[in-house]
Amino acid sequence: MSQTEVPDLDPVIHAQARLRVVSALSTLREADSIAFPRLQEILKMTAGNLSVHLRKLEDAGYVEVTKTHRGRTPTTLVRLTRRGRLAFEDYTAALRALLNTPLEEP
Amino acid sequence: MTPIDDELPPVDPAESLRLIEHERAETALNITPDPRGLLWPWGFAWVLGFGVYFLRFGPDDRVFVDLPSWLPLTLLLVLFLAAGAFTGWFGARISRTISGPSSRQGAMYGITWSVAYAGMSLVLSTTNGLLPDAQATMLWAGAMVALAGAMHMAGGAIWNDRNLFLLGAWTSVVNIAGILAGSGWQSLILAVLGGGGMIAVGTVQWLRLRRLANQGHR
Repeated sequence: MSQTEVPDLDPVIHAQARLRVVSALSTLREADSIAFPRLQEILKMTAGNLSVHLRKLEDAGYVEVTKTHRGRTPTTLVRLTRRGRLAFEDYTAALRALLNTPLEEP
Repeated sequence: MTPIDDELPPVDPAESLRLIEHERAETALNITPDPRGLLWPWGFAWVLGFGVYFLRFGPDDRVFVDLPSWLPLTLLLVLFLAAGAFTGWFGARISRTISGPSSRQGAMYGITWSVAYAGMSLVLSTTNGLLPDAQATMLWAGAMVALAGAMHMAGGAIWNDRNLFLLGAWTSVVNIAGILAGSGWQSLILAVLGGGGMIAVGTVQWLRLRRLANQGHR
């Protein structure tokens, strides 16, 4: 992750759909994860669409997707990794910096 | 919600920040359990259970409604078991959505309630038949309410929830007031101020959540 003076916007998060996913996940406490269907319900995305974005976030190391069993029912759990949380914090900090210094916009 | 072009970046930084805030508020609302679900069952169990106690074992041995003398304690225990079962189910439902430290904390807290109540009931039951009705009522009700007050205060400490802590403190004060007021009055005080307090706090927290929800959807 770059730490330059002029804030770079993380391209992984800098897409509306993934920004929404990461924002929603950032609400959970660290190390807590949410069931996939519930996340889907909150974001009002289709399962396929959400899966695609989760894959991209997973590839970047920002989210962790765990398939597990609850009793006999398979469950998919999603959580933001520490790296993902840091990226989200950097992203929001960069946005604020851009708002405060509009002339330095890259 | 309008369909979103997936790879499109948000329009501008201000818009992005609004999107983030909206999504965080929406999620927080969605994963926050209905505060009524944990407090109302107990509130109503107290109002009804201790209310019936008051009607059967009133101040100065007065009997307002001539019910069988075994009924009030049986009803109280049945109501407590029902409230415990409901809140246990309600809590487990939350943990099906979120797993991790939060749900483990919730489960440990729930188990603590059950274990503490079971242990205390067992200890108190060793006095069965040894005390007059009035003293037995004071003992059972006083101990149960002291435990409930302490558990709510501890819950406030665990979740950094000021309202829950204040509810526990209030319950503890109400308990002392009940003991000082003496048998008969104790039941009335616990029903109205204790049970009523839980219903009130549940309602206030629910209204607050609804207000936040309305703000989020503006």
